[in-house]
Amino acid sequence: MVRLNGLSLAPDDARQIVKYLSNHHGLAPEEARPAFYEAEHRVVNENVPDETVRSTCTLCHGLGRIISQRRTGEEWRLLTNLHIGMFPFVSTQGFYRYSPAPGLPDLPETDHQEPVDRAVQYFSKTYPLVTPEWQSWRAGMHSPKLEGRWLVSGYRPGKGRVFGETTITAGQAEDEFKTACSLVYIKDGSTEARTGRAIVYGGYSWRERLEGSAKDDPVRQSLMLSRDWTAMDGRMFWGAYDEFGIDVVLRRIGREPLISGADLPALRSGASSTRLAIYGANLPVDIKASEVDLGAGITVNSLVSATGDKIVVDVGVDSKAPNGLHAISLRNHVRPDAIAVFDKIDYIKISPGTGLARIGGAKYPKDYQQFEAIAYNRGPDGEVETSDDLNLGAVDAQWSIEEFPSGLNDDDKDFVGSIDEHGLFTPAIEGPNPKRRNSRNNSGDVWIVAALRPGGSSKSESVLIARAYLLVTFPLYVRWDPSTLLR
Amino acid sequence: MKHLTPINRKARLIEEVIISQEEDVCALSIQQPKPKLGPHYPLGCTLVFTPGWETDAAGSTAGLCQPVERDLHDCYLSCYWPVQVPDHLTNYPDWSSKCANATKDWRNIDLVFP
Repeated sequence: MVRLNGLSLAPDDARQIVKYLSNHHGLAPEEARPAFYEAEHRVVNENVPDETVRSTCTLCHGLGRIISQRRTGEEWRLLTNLHIGMFPFVSTQGFYRYSPAPGLPDLPETDHQEPVDRAVQYFSKTYPLVTPEWQSWRAGMHSPKLEGRWLVSGYRPGKGRVFGETTITAGQAEDEFKTACSLVYIKDGSTEARTGRAIVYGGYSWRERLEGSAKDDPVRQSLMLSRDWTAMDGRMFWGAYDEFGIDVVLRRIGREPLISGADLPALRSGASSTRLAIYGANLPVDIKASEVDLGAGITVNSLVSATGDKIVVDVGVDSKAPNGLHAISLRNHVRPDAIAVFDKIDYIKISPGTGLARIGGAKYPKDYQQFEAIAYNRGPDGEVETSDDLNLGAVDAQWSIEEFPSGLNDDDKDFVGSIDEHGLFTPAIEGPNPKRRNSRNNSGDVWIVAALRPGGSSKSESVLIARAYLLVTFPLYVRWDPSTLLR
Repeated sequence: MKHLTPINRKARLIEEVIISQEEDVCALSIQQPKPKLGPHYPLGCTLVFTPGWETDAAGSTAGLCQPVERDLHDCYLSCYWPVQVPDHLTNYPDWSSKCANATKDWRNIDLVFP
């Protein structure tokens, strides 16, 4: 209505309208979960379930935009009509087949439905307006009571584990909240503090805007609340293309101790003395070393310090301890699969295996890509590349860019940008580059290569190499979700 | 290829291409010989048009209109990229009015926030 018909809305009225639509015509959590990556602004490889949907809709936009909606058959039809009205060229791009040339026979197909008609049929059947899930959820919908302290466990690609706490207090309405969070990056000890304002839509879908002292602020956060109101998970994100983020899990802090995890994701067997910090909330400050149990093969040598949110111990690992995952146990409280024990790094992989960056920096923003080198051990079965392989966490690798040969005399690697020692790829500037053949842009496709020489006792370990594909491409001139750019 | 060593530039290029199609990571441009894995499509990528916005029909950048600014007016006037580029017909009739020659004046083109 605002865009098409010029409706003028005050921000508060708009918020109320969105709330009403979410609470009365929204999705059930079961329906929202498969599409929540859209709300999290997360890059995923979408699995398009239907060939017609792929050729009709996802040529232009992602599947997440579709599966986060439910409509009647008539409304799906009206939506396709709106597309044709607003963007007429879609008729020839995927909605309708080209007619055969005059004098030629019709296409040898048995189904003569147009793709757009087939897509509407598919949506009407797969994503109808009224579903048993929504009816069940709507009948018992609550405004969740979320005030209190929440333990934050997170992971930020490139910076590693993040632990902290968020305090949620009541806002102006029963589904609005104020927050104050403090985060610690375990790898370098840096801290961030932010305050935020949040709205919970549909009884479970958390949207928050946070501001603080960090250079990237303000940031946004999308979380999904569990049915029992004890946990939320989602993503905090920022950047011109929302390419930076922290994967977060929040757990409600009650009276019992909660264990987030340890600062080290893995311990090497044979290491006689390693300092290990265990993070959490309500941790027992009077705990003794004998009450910290990390499983067979790991000996707690001594207790270094103990506070309510961090217990530090000195541990030794038996040289014959088998490869595997260990739990952290503090008295009768346990965090399963929290630490891996390994004898050596068997291989590394780059995450993500396929990256995307966009040139920019002069007129339009850059779209960065963060890579990480993740170390793996072969796991209990002794075979590499199997499902029980142990993720040993990110390692400090040496990064380089190599050519991905997509044509003769390919020279993309000299122009697309650079990667720093932390795996952050910064794309080059946009615009025609007179130094390139035909004044090509600084776009291209390259290999990102990570090299690691594992340390530790074994000198026989050779350099491990992994590589990922990176596509460096053009800016987007239309920004459909521009809030971070307009701040 | 394990028993052959390239001795000139052309042979090395051939080897690079073969290695790029056999190694662990499945790149966008590789549709074969790993059809089960398939290319990884980053979210928002538009790959199927000829060319696509991010990649060409083969999944690479080699076949894209280059530089993109040279093709920008045509994209705009033909409304070919309604998600990536403003369209002239319906929504943004004045988008490129400050830009007579996109390859020179591309800095005059603003982003659009629908």
